[in-house]
Amino acid sequence: MGFFTRLISYMSFGSSHPLRRLATYYAVLLILGFLLFKFVPQFDSLLTGERLARLADPPSLLQDGLSSGQVQAPAADLQSRLMFALSTAFLLLSTLAIMLPVTWVYMSARSGHGHNQSVVQALIVLPMIVAGIVLIVSNSLALAFSLGGVVAAVRFRTNLSDARDIVFIFLAIAVGFADGVHEVTIALILSIIFNFVLVIIWRYDFGRSVLEPTAAAEWTEPLNDLAGKDKSGNKVPDRDLALALTPKKVEALAERFDRVRELLGPNGKKPRYNAIVTIATSDIAEAQKNVEPALDKVTKRWKLDEVVTNTGKPSELYYIVRTRKSVDRDALLTALRTSGNGTIENADVEIGDALAVEKVEEKRERKKQEQDV
Amino acid sequence: MTARWCGAWLGVCLIAAAGCRTRDLSAVERSPTAVAREQRLEKALADRNAGLDGQPIARWVLPAALREISGLVITKSGNLLVQGDEVGEIWQLDYRRGILVKHFSLGDKAQRGDFEGITVVNDTLYMLTSNGKIYQFLEGAEDAHVPFRMFDTGLKNMCEFEGIAFDPSINSLLLACKHVHEKDVRDAILIFRWSLAGDTTTNRLSKLVVPLGNSVLGSNGWKTLHPSDITVDPVTGNYVLLASLEKAMIEVTPAGEVVFVRLLARTHEQAEGVAITKDSILIISDEAKQSPAAITLYKWPLR
Repeated sequence: MGFFTRLISYMSFGSSHPLRRLATYYAVLLILGFLLFKFVPQFDSLLTGERLARLADPPSLLQDGLSSGQVQAPAADLQSRLMFALSTAFLLLSTLAIMLPVTWVYMSARSGHGHNQSVVQALIVLPMIVAGIVLIVSNSLALAFSLGGVVAAVRFRTNLSDARDIVFIFLAIAVGFADGVHEVTIALILSIIFNFVLVIIWRYDFGRSVLEPTAAAEWTEPLNDLAGKDKSGNKVPDRDLALALTPKKVEALAERFDRVRELLGPNGKKPRYNAIVTIATSDIAEAQKNVEPALDKVTKRWKLDEVVTNTGKPSELYYIVRTRKSVDRDALLTALRTSGNGTIENADVEIGDALAVEKVEEKRERKKQEQDV
Repeated sequence: MTARWCGAWLGVCLIAAAGCRTRDLSAVERSPTAVAREQRLEKALADRNAGLDGQPIARWVLPAALREISGLVITKSGNLLVQGDEVGEIWQLDYRRGILVKHFSLGDKAQRGDFEGITVVNDTLYMLTSNGKIYQFLEGAEDAHVPFRMFDTGLKNMCEFEGIAFDPSINSLLLACKHVHEKDVRDAILIFRWSLAGDTTTNRLSKLVVPLGNSVLGSNGWKTLHPSDITVDPVTGNYVLLASLEKAMIEVTPAGEVVFVRLLARTHEQAEGVAITKDSILIISDEAKQSPAAITLYKWPLR
């Protein structure tokens, strides 16, 4: 597989563009097919759909009206049996080769929330089974009816959540049918056109309602806030992070943003709060009773932000506070820990520290730049 | 990058185009059943005792598309062409192995008409309708729509035609009448000769009246014969006619003398076409009636 991936990379001139890699894969398939049919002409009938023509057209070999039965054909020799086995194997392998790029497109286009591994595996196996069934049934009405009976006895009912999954399954069945009637060309063309159309639809988000904002449009601002900075100071949004977020996570993230915004205050104004105090305790009610009077003494103002109840480990109380200039970080922590009377397991001051450090660093940088000038 | 991509894809397309093949029937022709059939026919032709008492040596049941089979003709290359009755469609059959080889039709959309017979002059095919119109065309490839020329003999009021053949000795098409409108030739067979050398209807047209007389009609209880097709024996040059209604076959000389009259087997429910090959095989086609349409092969001359 590694060699094959390298071959595709080499032939697509190292391009990572999905359309180019798909085109290269199909080109490799076409060349392999051409070489095979060039040097093993017996496979020709698999490409030209001779069997389908036989099924659709009047039979080429006319019925013998003189003999009560057909003229007894000589028994098939070993060579023809071997050829039959090889052609059947070739058909099934070509089905696999044709369906592989379909699974890649599925995995790309339906990554994340809509991805269903069982559909991917079905896309590979289902067309082979369909091709096998069509090969067995041939043009025998009796066999077709028997198969209908057998299938009716097997309960195979699966609900697919997305219409696009059903489309993939239909394609798998169509490819299986085409290969089953020796129409490898149709199967290949079906796969090529399907894949390219789907990749283009996916790439350009075709069919989206213009009234519905995209995730990118809705979350550009918060994502930019999350973004890191490059050397030039430009914001670099983490696209992978955005793609990995589920709507619930995005909402949770938005709530956090709101909290931080509240913490930092409106632009150009002094923030109402400048630190987050985290209290770890096993007795939330008792800890609250003890800590909150202490907060009244050592902070200008405070607000209970969140209570996280944990099982198996201490629960957490989050307070957002405005510190007093006269009370430094250590004094604040000492006051909180002593007020706990043993109910507090740990206390910490988080954001206020980071903001303070950031401000100090900014000041230092500014001074440096002034000195350089 | 884009230029290299275009170049690479052009190369792939050229290779793919070079790899394209047209389908052929070689697999069917080489199939064990087809080979066995040909061997059986060769054996029957070589066997002196085969085909005695007018026993057929082969019969091929035709598909539903040919249920209204009408005329037959053997081309210069020895291929058997058959035509349907209502639509200008022609099929090639391999009569030795019982294989449907190809199909082509007249005009862009298959021409409709009451086509009754087909014959060949060198490479040119002629089809005749019951009202005396002749369609001229060349043999087409598989599923081809061949262009045609149509000319009217103007004999619509004289009789209803049912068969056509070519007599190379006089370079004329033979047009066999099934129902003669002239009262004085109703107890005879009327064949029009349409010369291919002439340029006007007057100098093209001549008549051959074959009086049947009591020896033919009376002994069989017929009032007249209604030919359904005509062909020329490639060895003797005599005309061989089929009469579907009377289930009879009659051979006459180009001068109009009856050589023999023979009843067809009961299996010929509606014999509509006749042809004789150079390797002495008589082929008779039957429209579908109680049984499906078929062509039946006999050793010629009949014994």
